Amino acid sequence: MSDNNNVPTVQRVVAILWPSFVVSGIATILFFTVFDPVEIIGCVGGWDISRIGYYSIGFFLFWLLTSLNSVLTCYFLKPCAK
Amino acid sequence: MSDQNSQKVDVTPVEEVYAKRKKIYPRQVTGLFASLRVTGVLVLLGLYYFGPFLQWDDRQAILFDLPARKFYIFEWIFWPQDFIYLAALLIIAAIALFLVTALAGRVWCGYTCPQTVWTEAFLWIERKVEGSRPKQMKMDKADWSWSKFRKKFTKHFLWLALSLYTGFIFVGWFTPVDELFERTILLDLGSWETFWIIFYGFATYGNAGWMREQVCLYMCPYARFQAAMFDKNTLVISYDEERGEPRGSRKKDVDYKEQGKGACVDCTLCVQVCPTGIDIRDGLQYQCIGCAACVDVCNEVMDKMGYERNLISYTTENALHGKKESFFRPRVIIYIVLLSAITMALFTSIAQRIPLGLDIIRDRNSLYRETDEGLIENIYTLKVMNMDLKPHRYSLAVGGVDGIVVKKPKSGIVVDAGGVLNYPIRIQIDPEKLNKASTELIFYLNALEDDSLAVEEDGRFLGPTYD
Repeated sequence: MSDNNNVPTVQRVVAILWPSFVVSGIATILFFTVFDPVEIIGCVGGWDISRIGYYSIGFFLFWLLTSLNSVLTCYFLKPCAK
Repeated sequence: MSDQNSQKVDVTPVEEVYAKRKKIYPRQVTGLFASLRVTGVLVLLGLYYFGPFLQWDDRQAILFDLPARKFYIFEWIFWPQDFIYLAALLIIAAIALFLVTALAGRVWCGYTCPQTVWTEAFLWIERKVEGSRPKQMKMDKADWSWSKFRKKFTKHFLWLALSLYTGFIFVGWFTPVDELFERTILLDLGSWETFWIIFYGFATYGNAGWMREQVCLYMCPYARFQAAMFDKNTLVISYDEERGEPRGSRKKDVDYKEQGKGACVDCTLCVQVCPTGIDIRDGLQYQCIGCAACVDVCNEVMDKMGYERNLISYTTENALHGKKESFFRPRVIIYIVLLSAITMALFTSIAQRIPLGLDIIRDRNSLYRETDEGLIENIYTLKVMNMDLKPHRYSLAVGGVDGIVVKKPKSGIVVDAGGVLNYPIRIQIDPEKLNKASTELIFYLNALEDDSLAVEEDGRFLGPTYD
């Protein structure tokens, strides 16, 4: 328990938001290299958003998922109460 | 009992959890390495801020045009299907970083990392507005006054202005910068452009203004694993303990050796100039970004004292212990071989790249159709991508089985430079010639006036089932 508490708050926040940010960046690049959002959404009849808009939304969705992942990892790192 | 226990556990660490980082006020330093760093900072910031304005054939020389899904790099245009080149480039960058690290330590951190570069720029503004290190420390301790408020306000205003401009240029690498500039002046920016300018600006302001060394300590993956590339022949910043200890203050004229002291006068300047706030005399630490500020300042002190220079120096562990140094170690040779092999492969492959792309898209609505003449017909859309810098007219041929009839629009296949053409065709084949439900066809496309511009692509032709 004490080990975990010695971690500065900045580092805790960073440990969740930062790796997820990096991975979400990579995921965004890979995903949108393969898929053109305008073509995909165009097929199903989508909204009137620019490509940059789709990229941005995609990036933040990825970031949401990856940070959720980081939060869970941090949560499970905490030892159980005895 | 258990209540008492939990209280005990809860109370003690609270202070540590919220232990605030002490602000580091790096003292300004001059000298060889400081000049190198300033040169590096100016060159890199120059590249960043002026890069998007470079022109090449009436267009932006380097433009990662995300809205159009094309990357322009001087005379080359890269498409999403050229992703492999980007991957190769990243691998080259990574191995180059490993090589430099193995040879010269954290040169990347000390001189070229964006975090260092922008922090230097922000520190420069801070010093211009708030004055030197002692003045800054005194002001931060003092109560709020009009002059303190004015200085803080000016500093943050300048930081924010630079950050926003940095954000603007950032977006300018990804969307044509002159149009972006015009739309900014006319207050007609798209919402996503505005968002990214502010987002990137805010990240710059936060990282270079507030986070600073914490980025290196907590966020940087390279800082964690760079030690794996180090060996005894790697250049590192080190303090010559044998010569320096025991440290202590002394008068300039006395013979310190007679007093039983080492060369270190314990002026603590090396600690004051350190951007990550460490004492290099405690040995090599992972917080050390190899900026050599302490080398510069210590040499100045040694000169003043009339002592030999390089009590703190850029040296290797082997040199420090009087052992033989070697430059070409196995790891260095491996990095060099890998680096040259991948670099050559990349450039050969780019040079031999055929700037023509063809995608065969089968009509999704029907498998096949029988014509009045009794032929089997499939419908396709050819996606022709002209990645060349001039327009081309192409001719199409289809092979795979005998007696293929290609019905195509009267307009030829003409595609502008950097353009994409969706070209619908119908292919008819005599069922006698087909013996499978699915037959592989080969589509050949070549430019009429240039034989080197030719590609072939496979496509499926579906027909009735045969037993």
